[in-house]
Amino acid sequence: MDFSVVNEALASNSFDKISDICDALMLQVAAEGVPFRDDWPFAIHLLGHIYVDDVNSARFLWKSIPATIKESQPELVAAWKIGQKLWTRDYAGVYEAIRGFDWTPQTQVLVAAFSELYTKRMFELLQSAYSTISIQDAAQFLGMSEEDATNYVLRKGWTVDPTSRMLTVTKQAIVKEQKLDPGKLQRLTEYVFHLEH
Amino acid sequence: MEGLVTQIQGLSGTASDVLSLQNLLKQADDSLHAESTRLPPFLDQLDPSKHSLGYLYFLEACTAGPVTREQASSFVLTIARFISSCVAEQIRLAPDKFISVCKRFKDQVLLLEEPLRGVAPMLTAIRKLQLSSEHLTALHPEFLLLCLLSKCYKTALSILEEDIFEVDQPRDLFLYCYYGGMISIGQKQFRKALELLHNVVTAPMSTVNAIAVEAFKKYILVSLIHHGQFPTNLPKYASSGAQRNLKTLCQPYVELASSYSNGKIADLEMYVEANKDKFESDNNLGLVKQAVSSMYKRNIQRLTQTYLTLSLQDIANRVQLNSPKEAEMHVLQMIKDGEIYATINQKDGMVRFLEDPEQYKTCEMIERIDSSIQRLMTVSKKLNVMDELMSCDPLYLAKAGRERQRFDFDDFDNVPQRYNI
Repeated sequence: MDFSVVNEALASNSFDKISDICDALMLQVAAEGVPFRDDWPFAIHLLGHIYVDDVNSARFLWKSIPATIKESQPELVAAWKIGQKLWTRDYAGVYEAIRGFDWTPQTQVLVAAFSELYTKRMFELLQSAYSTISIQDAAQFLGMSEEDATNYVLRKGWTVDPTSRMLTVTKQAIVKEQKLDPGKLQRLTEYVFHLEH
Repeated sequence: MEGLVTQIQGLSGTASDVLSLQNLLKQADDSLHAESTRLPPFLDQLDPSKHSLGYLYFLEACTAGPVTREQASSFVLTIARFISSCVAEQIRLAPDKFISVCKRFKDQVLLLEEPLRGVAPMLTAIRKLQLSSEHLTALHPEFLLLCLLSKCYKTALSILEEDIFEVDQPRDLFLYCYYGGMISIGQKQFRKALELLHNVVTAPMSTVNAIAVEAFKKYILVSLIHHGQFPTNLPKYASSGAQRNLKTLCQPYVELASSYSNGKIADLEMYVEANKDKFESDNNLGLVKQAVSSMYKRNIQRLTQTYLTLSLQDIANRVQLNSPKEAEMHVLQMIKDGEIYATINQKDGMVRFLEDPEQYKTCEMIERIDSSIQRLMTVSKKLNVMDELMSCDPLYLAKAGRERQRFDFDDFDNVPQRYNI
């Protein structure tokens, strides 16, 4: 089986494309009637879904894998553990699952990229959902020690109250594009024309 | 047989040749079926990418009879290769045969317990058979069934996103929307699921069918999950049979919906526990559980209508959660999913509910509104075309002529019953 497309995507850091590439390849190989499951990179496939936050597809993929393969590939089980923690919304547990396994080099690249992305997503969630949060909880959500977490958020503009061990969130003002381009005038003309007739 | 093979090889070049070939094949069809066991070796003499029509006739005759498991394996491969290499224009001349072959392909793939094998070929088959992406073929529900059985939900979504305007057979639409609803539920796209299931329960039907009944059960549950309520009556355009009968046929679900509307989680959970077996035998227990947990969300959302700020402890009490921490996690999840606008203040243990910050001024929002307007304009144009066609339909005119009001002397002229053009 030719996995060069998958390997290229991994090498070029196009992690968001992994799930689509693997899906398409799996359908193609299955249609040819070739028994593929023993050699299939399920762990990478699963992590590809997790990377794009499609836990549903990751779950369905896990369900479709035969039990014998699950038993013989501990890395696959470890990859699913991450998905499981995401599914049950055990935000801190995700980091434990990431760190709790000695990943093979190829998988490690993907896991590391996901870990970074996940931390970023968690930070954005905290920023939008909390006005104040304890250092302890923030550390859990960000998967860092309390000291590292404090430094991380201070760099992003938050303030800390050491006595109460509380962090105050500062939201960055996101400027959204509001300029219109002339093409919209053409569209408006079309709408009025349509309404008149 | 050999003569027929030579003719196929000779007449597959131009479009007009293929049409004459089609006549020959139609005449030979019965003898092909009679000799079905002798046909497989002849398939090797034909090239599916050039002699698609002839190959199709032979293939259809070969696969017409009962097939053993050993034969299934080789047929599945042959049919998959045929589907990928055949010429669309040729197979569209014999759509019924193509559909039969593809349906048998699905049966054999299921016999081998390998639904995944059939997904890609069935998708290719749909693309070759359909006249446009707005055309629903008999193969669409087969494709969705294979996706459901092989758990390829994401692949199915690409087909479900296409708008359908033309349907060959009503049964195809029922099954397509029902399976489509199940796939959307699996991917947690409840708005899409509701749309599809709505189509099944409101579709014209002279008598209520089993697909509509099962769809209605899921429709009630998805309605509770997505909207937090279930409308007691179907819209007026649903068939009278559906309006009268569906609720009585889905009694446990209707009662679940009314229990839900009372807002008390404990009562709802008790009802579910008491009727667990019924829900389980319908394969709906998972969905029922999702409906129950959506009630916490619903109750929290209701709080935003009354309060500006509320303590986490208060939320936990009102919504019947076990602790302020649980309430915090629920609110956090709702903020993440965009179901609520709020900020949590851990220092004071309070939640402040906010207004929707959307100002509808950004370019992104304008693009969204734009594309919605474009879609509406397309639908509007299509409706105009359909309206015009229907205004010329003799059956419609006859009925309208009989039923219209007569005010004027001229109105007493009869509407012509038949047009001789």
